Amino acid sequence: MSKEKVFTKSLDSSFLAVYNGYMFFLRFFREAFRGRMEFQELVKQCYAIGYKALLLISLTGFITGMVFTKQSRPSLAEFGATSWLPSLVSIAIVRALAALVTALICSGKVGSSIGAELGSMRVTEQIDAMEVSAVNPFKFLVVTRVLASTITIPILMFYCTLVALLGAFLNVTLNEGTSFIAFFENAFEQITFLDIGTSLVKAVAYGFTIGIVGCYQGYNAIKGTEGVGKAANASVVISMFLIFIEEVIIVQVSNYFRI
Amino acid sequence: METSTRKRSITVGLFVVVGILIFVVGILTIGSMKKVFATSISVKSIFHDVNGLKPGNNVWYSGVKIGTVKKIRFLDNEQVEVMLNIEEKSQEFVRKNAKAKISTDGLIGNKIIVIYGGTQKVPAIEDGDQLAVEKIESTEEMLAVLSENNKNLLGITSAFKTISKNILEGKGTVGMLLNDERLYNDVDQTLAALKKASVNAQVMTASLSGFTAKLNEKGGLANDFATDTVIMRDIRATVGRLNETVSSANVMVNNLKTTTESLNSNKTSPLGVLLHDEKTASNLKGTLQNLESSTEKLDENMEALRSNFLFRRYFKKKAKEDAKQSPATESAVNESVKDTIK
Repeated sequence: MSKEKVFTKSLDSSFLAVYNGYMFFLRFFREAFRGRMEFQELVKQCYAIGYKALLLISLTGFITGMVFTKQSRPSLAEFGATSWLPSLVSIAIVRALAALVTALICSGKVGSSIGAELGSMRVTEQIDAMEVSAVNPFKFLVVTRVLASTITIPILMFYCTLVALLGAFLNVTLNEGTSFIAFFENAFEQITFLDIGTSLVKAVAYGFTIGIVGCYQGYNAIKGTEGVGKAANASVVISMFLIFIEEVIIVQVSNYFRI
Repeated sequence: METSTRKRSITVGLFVVVGILIFVVGILTIGSMKKVFATSISVKSIFHDVNGLKPGNNVWYSGVKIGTVKKIRFLDNEQVEVMLNIEEKSQEFVRKNAKAKISTDGLIGNKIIVIYGGTQKVPAIEDGDQLAVEKIESTEEMLAVLSENNKNLLGITSAFKTISKNILEGKGTVGMLLNDERLYNDVDQTLAALKKASVNAQVMTASLSGFTAKLNEKGGLANDFATDTVIMRDIRATVGRLNETVSSANVMVNNLKTTTESLNSNKTSPLGVLLHDEKTASNLKGTLQNLESSTEKLDENMEALRSNFLFRRYFKKKAKEDAKQSPATESAVNESVKDTIK
């Protein structure tokens, strides 16, 4: 394979990374629907990615709901519309915050761990060893992790939504004395199926992104232990960047349906 | 190892089930809020302007949510057909002659359809019915009225500004009143005078009160005047007699005037001669002087007669009789004097 430059060295390497990523993406779908699914490994990854992140997500969601409510109150109080706090907070949480907070937390926790784990397996030649022992490392390592993150991050997002709404309720009930039923009736009044659907689509997309980016970075790690660190770091940075890009695109598309 | 895997699988299963449960509960809650799962009938209304109403907005009847807006479509020029889903359990309360209008949930909330009115005699709405609509003033129209009010308010405040400026500069009656010290002093003095006058008026009122009390006192002259009808009749009679007297006096004065004029004009009559003729007057005066001297001489003669022995006895007898009569005469004189004094 010749090292001939097409544009500049960095530009060429960027385009090459995009191409490799695209091929990795296609290979995932090929491997996912071919052969027997590694369910044990999938459950193990669901446990590691989803369950292990539940406490962190719950805590973050609770704080997000409570702080967002607290920060929104003065603006609404200026119009004498503090009774709208449940609607405002629920719209914000369901439409954007829950999915985004879950994804960002998971990209930090899960993405980096996948990148580091696969990277270390790559540099210690464990992946090569699996190939030698007639085990498909891609199916066993990548497909299970990507599927696990794609499945568990939406579920974490539901938890995050519920806990964030509870945080918001706590703040509202302490300040306005609103009852639980009144709060949740008011909160769900303004939420539509489109909001829930959009949120679910976002969470699936974010989960898939976190998984595939982490796996790609780890699976293709080079240069020994230094490569492991780079893979973990790149997993977080790139997945976060892609999450925001996806956020913009999905919001645009959902607004099209909303109108 | 097997136990650990099993435990992990159960944990993941529970984690997924609870997550999906949250999702399902959320969906059902929203569904019940939006009346998605409730059986409903479809009615329509045709508006000229839907003010940004959207499918999914709520339908209220007497402040209770009974359905949602299903579909909005143009029917004709400036005619928008709005299809409403109304839940079946609320159907019986909405009558065919009920009306629909577009309102807002709160001051700046979402648009809603408000169904109102309807009479008990009219049957309940059915699937496919059309509700009459009532046009309400849009926010823009209300803002236009507000804008007009603002202009009026601006005009009023400008006028007040001019007035206050004039007052500050001492122009006009109010301005002078506020700024001119001389006028203030005058007003102050006037007020002091008024105060004094009011005190006097108070005193006068008190006097009047006393006076009227006396007037009302029974047996008083004024009270008799006011209340006794006999006195008034007597007074009228007296006044009538006085009038007659005055008439007689008038006639008498006229007669005296005529007499006087006659005396003045007729100088040949005896009285006229007495009044006007100087020669006669001097003669009369001389006669009177002669009469006086004659009287003196007669007194002397009478004294002489009293001394005469021929008449002395008569005079002594006369003196004795006078002495006897004098006490009775004196007492009678005294009585008459007393009567006069009374």
